[in-house]
Amino acid sequence: MPRFDEGRPEMTLEEFRLLRDHVYAHCGILIHENMKFVMERRLWPRLEALGIQDFGSYHRYLRYDAQRSAELEAAVESLTTHETYFFREPAQLKAFCEELVPILEKRNAHTRRLRLWSAGCSSGEEAYTLAMLLKESGRFDDWDVEVLGTDLSRRVLAVARRAEYGPSALRATPPDLLERYFIPVGVNRVRVRDDVKAWVNFGHHNLSDVAGSQLVPRSDVVFCRNVMIYFDLAARRRVLGVIRDRLCPGGYLLLGHAENLLSLGADFELVHLKGDLVYRRPELPGGEGR
Amino acid sequence: MSDTMQSPAGQEEARYRALQAVDPRAPSALETFTTGLHDESWRVRHAAAEGLRRVPDAPGVTARLISVLGERGETGARNAAAEALAGMGPVAVPPLVHLLEHEDPDQRKLAADILGQLGRPEVEDVLLRALSDDDLNVRVAAAEALGRMGGDAAARALEGLLDAPTLLLRLAALEGLASLKRAPPLERVMALVEDPGVQRSALRLLGLYAPGVATERICRALASPVRSVREAALVALGKQAVGLGPYERGELDAVARSVLSGIPGVTAHVAQALDGDDVRVRAGALVAAGALGEASLAVAVAEVAREDRLLREVLFTLGQLGPEGRRLLLGSMGTLSLPARTVAAEALVLLVDSTSVPELCALLEWAEDDLRAVVVRALGRTHSPDAVAPLVELLSDPTLSAMAARALEQLTVAHPLEALAALEAAVEQRTTPAAVAVLGRLGGARVLPVLRRIARDEDASWRAAAVEAAGRADGEAGLELARGALADESPKVRIAAVRSLGQQGGREAATFLGLALKDEDRGVRVAAVEAVGVAGAKERSPDLEALVRHGDGALAMLAVRALTKLGTVGTGVLWDALSHHDAEVVKAALPALGSAEASADGAALAMSLLGHPRWDVRVAAARVLGGMGRPECLPALQQAMSVEQDALAQVALAEAVVRLSGR
Ligand SMILES: C[S@@+](CC[C@H](N)C(=O)[O-])C[C@H]1O[C@@H](n2cnc3c(N)ncnc32)[C@H](O)[C@@H]1O
Repeated sequence: MPRFDEGRPEMTLEEFRLLRDHVYAHCGILIHENMKFVMERRLWPRLEALGIQDFGSYHRYLRYDAQRSAELEAAVESLTTHETYFFREPAQLKAFCEELVPILEKRNAHTRRLRLWSAGCSSGEEAYTLAMLLKESGRFDDWDVEVLGTDLSRRVLAVARRAEYGPSALRATPPDLLERYFIPVGVNRVRVRDDVKAWVNFGHHNLSDVAGSQLVPRSDVVFCRNVMIYFDLAARRRVLGVIRDRLCPGGYLLLGHAENLLSLGADFELVHLKGDLVYRRPELPGGEGR
Repeated sequence: MSDTMQSPAGQEEARYRALQAVDPRAPSALETFTTGLHDESWRVRHAAAEGLRRVPDAPGVTARLISVLGERGETGARNAAAEALAGMGPVAVPPLVHLLEHEDPDQRKLAADILGQLGRPEVEDVLLRALSDDDLNVRVAAAEALGRMGGDAAARALEGLLDAPTLLLRLAALEGLASLKRAPPLERVMALVEDPGVQRSALRLLGLYAPGVATERICRALASPVRSVREAALVALGKQAVGLGPYERGELDAVARSVLSGIPGVTAHVAQALDGDDVRVRAGALVAAGALGEASLAVAVAEVAREDRLLREVLFTLGQLGPEGRRLLLGSMGTLSLPARTVAAEALVLLVDSTSVPELCALLEWAEDDLRAVVVRALGRTHSPDAVAPLVELLSDPTLSAMAARALEQLTVAHPLEALAALEAAVEQRTTPAAVAVLGRLGGARVLPVLRRIARDEDASWRAAAVEAAGRADGEAGLELARGALADESPKVRIAAVRSLGQQGGREAATFLGLALKDEDRGVRVAAVEAVGVAGAKERSPDLEALVRHGDGALAMLAVRALTKLGTVGTGVLWDALSHHDAEVVKAALPALGSAEASADGAALAMSLLGHPRWDVRVAAARVLGGMGRPECLPALQQAMSVEQDALAQVALAEAVVRLSGR
């Protein structure tokens, strides 16, 4: 049996580091040394597509070629993990529905406007999940609601907009919700219903791009789950600055299960909900911004 | 005041922030932080411990922390103090060693714990002595500490504890040896595997041994009704498999298969483990699945690819599941997660034969580019004439056309006529210019009339393709078309001409390339620089030398590389290149320092670059020096080695030193 890496160039540690640093500077994603093989394997198709023989030349291509920015995007695309599914991390979502949603309803009662941001939304499951939960609550039916999903990868955004999903994306979806919010579109595939889609928008945004974040509207809640796990401390700081800036004062930040803001300073306050720990951007003094 | 500030969480927040605002240089800081160590909230205690580390008077801080360790009943504060001490570094060592003499066994235990966390090799002796402490907890803590940081003596002592009468000590010894990666004689561990109290640790330690008897015992443990025992066995199996060459791996798989196939229900257990939370368990489950060759596990195996770290093992395992596994995978492509689908496709490539074309074409329906790329490769490997048509069609897909072209070349070896006919048809029907390039490469002189015609096409992409293809098809005709194309209004066509000239070589090509080096378009110039090197056109060296000083790093770097290829790098040019602001130019120039002409100054230049701010330049400089064979460079290399912080540069320097001193 032939080997799966037969005839493909190996990546030296040096090439690995040069490429890693390049990717890091672009989007804050840090690839550990023990992931060299993963990088090598994910970039092989790029080398093949460009007819490039080795990773050193690929690095120079990324630096100098006229097509370099498109290629960098393609490289980052293939290096990132887009794993996501509907109703991921149910305990957190339960706490969101039972504890934060009532607060949000009260807080925004006078504007009847609600903004959620799913930062690093991948193929859209998280953003749609949030819209479905808001619908489930029955509290915002005639409100102005928007869930904005953003991601670095344009490819996953295309999937998100199509809003069609298969069993793997649905593996944690409760059957009654599947019934209520999706319509079947073929063997094993469903599409998100239009009324849910109407609350959800998608856009391209690099969380490391501080200036570009001005395009993201101020939100009441930001979900940034399983994105910063690939970032080092410096990149996390940068991204948290962006998120804080895009949160309304008193707005909430929800991170993934394995993530926390330890040793990241006091930009956020920790709020102990009964079901979960979340972070909050402090209110402005004197209660402004309410 | 907002509601957060009154809530308990809000008060905690306020205390947390107050601590963060404390200036560690203030005289009261030590006491403020020490009070914080006693806070009810772990987050506040953590902030206090961090604060203490920043207080300038390290010996004073250490002493104060040690006194907190003595406060019985203050568990939270003691733990926080221990955490802080573990972060203090060497200054904490002497007082902690002293604390090991304390009359309170609890304090002695804490001291041993923290010394273990500090991980300083100089305390090995002290900890070894603590192994005979009167108090069991202290002995266990010492054993655990030695397991974190010990050397030979620690390993021997831990081995001695393997048959200690106390379970806790036996456990600490096993765990310690595992973490030190020291394998005691196999029989001793084999005996302990039968001891229910330490079975799991003993099993994990078995992972350190070569395949064989240990493998057999590990695999037998998969028959255990207790899940944690099975998981320990899988962790060990995974560990045994790491880094084995093909021969040993075959041996491991054979042993595992013979044992596992006799265990009823093992497939279900492996399936469960493949879906588990612990990466190490999943790694072992992959090894077990592969050894079993159990096709029904194919989907579960592919799904492990969601964990990046296990990618290599997943690919390997899928290859072990045979045609039946492949059939199952193909059937479930639609329900696999994205990462699983891509590895599944990759594994399928290895299994294709001439009957696989329809299946592969069905996979092309999937939208993901990386998946389609894999399929294109697979089509080339089928060696089937049926693959020609789909591949020719793929030539028009911009992301896949280069790959499709290579796959077609693979097919042409076996089916030249089919391939040429399909390509000619594609060109006639104007399917895609990429078909022209492949046609030129495969068709030779007989396709020249077609190429000449296309070289006059109104679409620049087709003209470019024809010019480049003609160069490959026939030298003379190629040169003629390229000359015409250098006057084309489209840079794309001029670039194609330049590339073709590079392939041709010769006097005439060199003359034309001289013109291209002065082209108004940067892309054409870049291509020309490369082509000069490829063509071996030495007469163009002066043009290239001028480009070395160019502010555009790409042009400068390519010029240096081309000059190096031509063997005409002069000292002056080298100086220019080595002081270029772009590190890639510097790196490109470094290898030329070894050449005869440059080597007098070369060594001095390379040595000066050992202090370059970029690690990759320092690495390149060290390599060049290592290859120069000038022993007088040794002291400079050794000096650089003593201050080098970067791991890769250290390795490069060390290699250079060995090469220079070992002649
Ligand atoms: C693992 S997915 C998480 C999806 C979803 N939030 C969830 O938890 O299920 C991580 C996503 O973060 C995106 N991402 C990574 N770095 C990013 C950056 N610098 N800016 C924006 N998105 C980024 C990736 O493209 C990927 O789609």
